[in-house]
Amino acid sequence: MSVSYQPVIWNRTKIIYDAVLIVAIVAYVLIFLKLGPMLSPAMAETNPPILRMRAFGSLALILLTVVLAIGPLARLDVRFMPLLYNRRHFGVMTAIVAATHAWYVLAWYFAFSPTPQLLALFTSNTSFAQVSGFPFELFGVFALTILAVLAATSHDFWLSFLSPAIWKAIHMSVYAAYAAVVLHVALGALADGRNAALGVFLFASLGTLCALHLIAGRRERAADKAGSPEVDRTGWIDIGDVSEIAENRAIIGAAPGGERIAVFRSKGKLSAISNVCSHQNGPVGEGKVVLGLVTCPWHGYQYRLEDGCSPPPFKERIRKYRVALSGTRVLVDPEPLPLGTRLEPLAIPEDTLAAPAAPSGG
Amino acid sequence: MLKPPERGFFVGYFKKVPADIRRLMLVFIATFIGTFAAAAFVLALDTDSPGSGSFAGPPPEGEITGTIDLLPYPVLRVAASPGSPARAIMLAGTGKFGVSDRAEKLKGKSVVVGGFFVKRGDLEMLLVGGKMKAEDEQPADLPVPQAPEDLGRWRLTGEICDGKCAAGAMRPGTGLAHKACANLCISGGVPPVFVSTAPVEGRSFFLMASADGGPMPAWLLNKTAIPVVLEGRVERRDDLLVFKVDGQAKDGGT
Repeated sequence: MSVSYQPVIWNRTKIIYDAVLIVAIVAYVLIFLKLGPMLSPAMAETNPPILRMRAFGSLALILLTVVLAIGPLARLDVRFMPLLYNRRHFGVMTAIVAATHAWYVLAWYFAFSPTPQLLALFTSNTSFAQVSGFPFELFGVFALTILAVLAATSHDFWLSFLSPAIWKAIHMSVYAAYAAVVLHVALGALADGRNAALGVFLFASLGTLCALHLIAGRRERAADKAGSPEVDRTGWIDIGDVSEIAENRAIIGAAPGGERIAVFRSKGKLSAISNVCSHQNGPVGEGKVVLGLVTCPWHGYQYRLEDGCSPPPFKERIRKYRVALSGTRVLVDPEPLPLGTRLEPLAIPEDTLAAPAAPSGG
Repeated sequence: MLKPPERGFFVGYFKKVPADIRRLMLVFIATFIGTFAAAAFVLALDTDSPGSGSFAGPPPEGEITGTIDLLPYPVLRVAASPGSPARAIMLAGTGKFGVSDRAEKLKGKSVVVGGFFVKRGDLEMLLVGGKMKAEDEQPADLPVPQAPEDLGRWRLTGEICDGKCAAGAMRPGTGLAHKACANLCISGGVPPVFVSTAPVEGRSFFLMASADGGPMPAWLLNKTAIPVVLEGRVERRDDLLVFKVDGQAKDGGT
């Protein structure tokens, strides 16, 4: 969290994250461009600019596959959460690698011509009515444009300027970029029938991403669909048993068709807040109370238990909900309180408190 | 209801990393870098040979003398000499440029041309360097090239390429990835060639022309770099075969 905008607020995790990413990218490029021609006569006979565009193009596809896998992986196993922490650097790096690929293509296939490069890119192949020979480059242009916009707006300034909802919607277009990349590769390199390994990788990438998203999505949808049972006809919902809540952790419920609600237990008291972080819609309820503040597991944004506001000088806010106990059952009014409303955490009665809490996760 | 997480809690700005997350991340980092290295290796080695085409150096004498055929694309007709049959050499310029404009001014003259050959099998093209000019002393009688020999009507299966890249100026210089480049070359005046899957009179490469002997029809730009079946007449000019396309086979090609 920061009250002022800086290009990058570095910390040890981000440095390690970027270092690993750069090592993997450099290893890929060096093996492809330096070791490959030493081992393969066919590569040695191929023009170096064409090798470079192949190296950076295939690398961009791999990076995009990994970056899209991070979200569902982190949903399926919270131990993958560190991958999500600095995902925007991953995305920016992907955009740079894709742009490098495009630059080599422009400087080779579309250069040395009486037609200017960019004009040639859009006019040299107009076989729109056929699959084989379709100007697949245009799918690459579309994907690169999206990746460039996402990279340019990946900073928190844009998140704040555009609002989290709009920013999130824009960044969901990365899936359109991926679809365009799949078409770009399928109608280009694969249709040529000369790249069996790339074909295998493309379909493996597509299959893996579809499977991960379907599994994670199915789990989330099932949780939302089940909702939390309504108590009598009061409208309040039963989130669970107080003994299920580990100290400084939460359980998460949902009103049917409504927003998810997290009920935290800390120092013998219960507090209900929105499960949706105001930063990037992270799952606050999967976070932890750290130094008395609810801490989102995605990027560490923090909120006070009593009013859902970030401590000064920060200005983020999430909704608070009324919470009550019926015996050991935790009940929540799914009607949110106005943002910033102060509501003291509910003390757990001594006799209920005596019941053991769920084991803490760390 | 979603169960609360039971694992260690970590946010990027924390100094301590829970043991279970540290273990998984170490395994992930090793797998991540290893996978990238392995993928580079596999994808790099999955490269087809671009074929035998390559730059073949300048003419043995440094330059060649002959006369120019302007259509369908500039071709240098070199008269036979003792021990050397007559030749018809396709001409292209630097980059994705043809030499039609320069050749136009040299029509009906004895011409001296220098440059570099690109050659792939029986496909040969002279990339004109700086020198392409009329001989200082024009001979009284220009050699008369042999008249084209009609080899009949043919249906040929193959691929339309730009002759320069296909001959080895780019490696590879054929295929779908190269389609836009081929179109730019052909549009720029580089002679297009048809690479046939089966030879005609021992030749697999044909200079492409329209049915009336002019430049390749523009509609064929949609057919470059893909398998296609075309029909037309084939004629021989010295050692060069010209495919005068009049249509696409109705039952073949894409």
